[in-house]
Amino acid sequence: MSDANQHIEAARTAFAEAFGPFDQLALNGSGLAEAEAKLRELGELKVRHTGKKSALAEAKKMIGRVAPEERSDFGQAVQAAEKEITDRLEKAEAELNEFITSARIERERLDVTIPGRRSRTGHLHPITILRQQIEDIFVSMGYAIEDDREIETDYYNFDALNIPEGHPARESQDTFYTTGGFALRSQTSTVQIRAMERRGVPIRIIAPGKVFRRDTPDMTHVPMFHQIEGLCVDKGITMAHLKGTVTEWLKRLFGEETVTRFRPSYFPFTEPSAEFDFTCFVCHGSGRVSSEQSAASSEKGEDGGELLTAHSSQLTDRCRPCKGSGWIELGGSGMVHPNVLRACGVDPAVYSGFAFGFGLERMAAMMFNIDDIRHMFENDVRFLEQFR
Amino acid sequence: MNISYNWLKELIDIELSPEETAAALTRVGLAVEGIHPHKNDLVLDIDLTSNRSDCLSHLGVARELGVITGRSLKATSGSTAAGDELDAVPFPSVLAPEVVRVDAPELCNRFTARVIRGVKIGPSPEWLVDRLEALGERSINNVADITNYVMLELGQPMHAFDLDKLAEKRIVVRTARAGEKITTLDEAERELDETMLAICDAERPVAVAGVMGGFESGITEATTNVLLEVAYFKRENIRQTSRKLGLATEASYRFERGVDIENLIRASDRATELIVQLAGGEAADIVDVYPQRQPERTVRSANVASAVKRLTGLDVAADECERILSSLGIARISDGEYSSPTWRHDIAIEEDLVEEVARHAGYENIKDELPPAFGAGEYQTSEVRKRRLRGALVEQGFDEAIAYSFIDVRHDDLFAAVPEFLREGGEDKFVTLKDSVIEGSVRMRPTLIPGLLGALRLNLNHQRRDVKLFEIGKAFAASGMGELPTERELFTIAVTGGEVHEDRAMPARQLDLYDAKGAVEAALEAAGAVNCDYRPAEISHLRAGQSGEVVKDGRVVGTFGRLNEEIAANYKFKQPVYVAELDLQTILAEPSRPAVYTLLSRFPAVVRDISFLVPRSLTFAEVQSSAIGADATNLRAVSFVDIFEGKGLADDVRSLTIRLEFRSDERTLTDAEVDEEYSAVLAKLKNELSLEPRT
Repeated sequence: MSDANQHIEAARTAFAEAFGPFDQLALNGSGLAEAEAKLRELGELKVRHTGKKSALAEAKKMIGRVAPEERSDFGQAVQAAEKEITDRLEKAEAELNEFITSARIERERLDVTIPGRRSRTGHLHPITILRQQIEDIFVSMGYAIEDDREIETDYYNFDALNIPEGHPARESQDTFYTTGGFALRSQTSTVQIRAMERRGVPIRIIAPGKVFRRDTPDMTHVPMFHQIEGLCVDKGITMAHLKGTVTEWLKRLFGEETVTRFRPSYFPFTEPSAEFDFTCFVCHGSGRVSSEQSAASSEKGEDGGELLTAHSSQLTDRCRPCKGSGWIELGGSGMVHPNVLRACGVDPAVYSGFAFGFGLERMAAMMFNIDDIRHMFENDVRFLEQFR
Repeated sequence: MNISYNWLKELIDIELSPEETAAALTRVGLAVEGIHPHKNDLVLDIDLTSNRSDCLSHLGVARELGVITGRSLKATSGSTAAGDELDAVPFPSVLAPEVVRVDAPELCNRFTARVIRGVKIGPSPEWLVDRLEALGERSINNVADITNYVMLELGQPMHAFDLDKLAEKRIVVRTARAGEKITTLDEAERELDETMLAICDAERPVAVAGVMGGFESGITEATTNVLLEVAYFKRENIRQTSRKLGLATEASYRFERGVDIENLIRASDRATELIVQLAGGEAADIVDVYPQRQPERTVRSANVASAVKRLTGLDVAADECERILSSLGIARISDGEYSSPTWRHDIAIEEDLVEEVARHAGYENIKDELPPAFGAGEYQTSEVRKRRLRGALVEQGFDEAIAYSFIDVRHDDLFAAVPEFLREGGEDKFVTLKDSVIEGSVRMRPTLIPGLLGALRLNLNHQRRDVKLFEIGKAFAASGMGELPTERELFTIAVTGGEVHEDRAMPARQLDLYDAKGAVEAALEAAGAVNCDYRPAEISHLRAGQSGEVVKDGRVVGTFGRLNEEIAANYKFKQPVYVAELDLQTILAEPSRPAVYTLLSRFPAVVRDISFLVPRSLTFAEVQSSAIGADATNLRAVSFVDIFEGKGLADDVRSLTIRLEFRSDERTLTDAEVDEEYSAVLAKLKNELSLEPRT
């Protein structure tokens, strides 16, 4: 019996000795590899002291061999020893595992603030962006999109548009001519004629496209730019329809609160003629913006007019896009001149129509606060990538 | 046009403040752009449209205010120009031939002259100086100032000669002789030609008619006898002369837009009155040469109010229409017929009457109405495909460029145009502008490439090394004589530098030919243009051996490749640049093909990769097409895996790896079946192309 007890005692002592270094693990400051080595070491230790060939296993086998009256005590002693050994082993193991897990997490910690991985996305030209938006609006209003030649005969660029030879608009130095005597179209109104010839009437079209004028490039002039021309000819079309249509599309583009204004004007191809303005999309017609608003003038005011009138005393800065007038002058319009209708074989006694036109560069410059219109055709990526 | 508020009030009784006046004028189409103080006066800056030459005077603006306020105009002070006296003037004056002879009545429709003897030239009184200065005019001397003053008041330009400097003290109005010279008031010598109308004395021109007087015959302090010219010239002729001489004056500005031919006597009387008053002297009778009185211009309108309603939707009562028109001087002659005032050159048809009524009734009273529904809207046929194409390129990191359509002649013949576009021949195959506003840029671009290369250069100058640009736009080629040029929509890309990731500073790798080609493939696919072939080709602006052409349905529709060294050197590109240009118009003329569904196989495919050493002259396409032609019914695809060159390989070969995919729709293929077909492919490649698999 004492042999057996001695055996247990010896096993406990041997374990205690071998386990010594694991008692106080002191993992602080140790690396992952070190901890993993210790865990392996601990595993080996476990096999040695609790495995099949261990002194503890030997002691378990002895239980059956000790005298029956001592068996219970001995059994309890073996169990106690086994519990002590496994407890200590498991505690160390758990501690190591915990350390290793958190060390691994640390080692694999990522910087989630680094930008995500994606190819650079390109950008449409601001003119394309604006043109597509406007085309979408007009298609939804039942208009067909048209375009045609950029180099035209004088007939389409002038005569058919009621600008006969000798007319000041024609003799002005605005028009580019080719050596072959053709004109670079100086307005998209040429498409009115081409489209009416092709489609007949009734007709509803808009025609976006390039036009050319002999202006030396500077901050507000370029020799090539884009216009959008609108034309609606039918029986019973009046200027009220012109106003309604222009107001409608401007509201769709700039918001329901947009108001339009028509002023008498003169164009050879319309009679009566009007220029149209709309309330500024930044100041909503007040001409004034608060300092914060002018800092973020490209953003639309959320509750617009109300705020502006209620606190008008705080609205100190001159609004930029409309230069403080509250209005943005956009384009020309009017009722199609009977001579233009006749040139297209349309009887002005039966049909009437309206037409309007405006420049996209000027509009884009106002919407995006572009200071120099020449940027539009320089294709500087620093410029292009600001628009989406 | 600057208009003095005080002066207006001398012409019409108005109770409107200057601001109200400005608003009222703007409302009827005389846009007041600003109000500027001058001493005790306010000056309205009015932006007039080119049809309203009648408002280039205080009288004209006052007339508009008359319509607005319903008040009538006051007579100009002490004016002798009562309407009746007009016809009392000898017509033509019996004295006329001695003083004035008009040899070119078709260009000078009416000419009046009046001699005022014994004037004393001197400074103008303060009120006159002030008036002129308020309107931005410089005071010269009393007589010159009066002619300016009356022009600003009544809109009629006039000129005062020193009678004693005129040879034989007479005037001959004739066209100039070619090469005839005159020194004008601005002391510049000008050469005239036979299209120009000259006011001459017995010997030589003393004024360019309607434009500027002559220096030598002008009023000086020594002048005592004045000849005052008040005339009407043919508008187009004055415009032409002014353009040709590069000389635009207040006078020419008014004459070319049109003055009031029936207002000459009144203007002359008014000036005469002021001269006598301020400079003394005695006025003789007026000489009026008016060989052919202009016929009265009339406008037909059966019912103006209904025309207004028809065109504007405005309800304006018939008597209000009549009031507006008659206040404007548009008198009803008979039922359905109105006279057009001699000062209004822009009133000719019923629609013009509608505008007059509508602008005074107020455009703001026109309702906002949408036309009745009509039909569905539609995009241009190619627009949807172009939007997809643009989208695909934007996704690939391309920025959209728009460059000028005119380019420098130095790009001529450096670039190959898209096929079947430019004709053979020299410069005449291009469309050329007579002149340009950008030096050298007189060529309408036959290709979009130079525009994009210019943009690359600009971006490189701004330290943007990694750039991908595309443009969709028209190119131009000459057609036969007298025919409109051909316009063709092209799609062009230019790429250089490295592959950029969003928000990452360093490019991942350098772009190469296959990036450019990939972009073209993606764009065409997005636009629904499938089944394009790419084959090697020598293209003048591309580097030999790194260039190809795009073929669609047997037709070459574009080119792609690396920019050649010479052009790259012109632009000082130190890194490779790749460009592609495609005839988008031709490509999109073909409808896009709808997708066709093929059955999904239930049986697995067997894949075999195989590498060959291929000579550089042999293309993957040739290898692929040879393999596909092999006697192997279950061979479903031959695809590209990898190409390797350089290290360990001879210079003239590459290692090409391709993938063969075998599959049956009926059963799972056995190894033996695959082996058999695989061998057939190998045999074909060996026989046809002498290719041996690498081990």
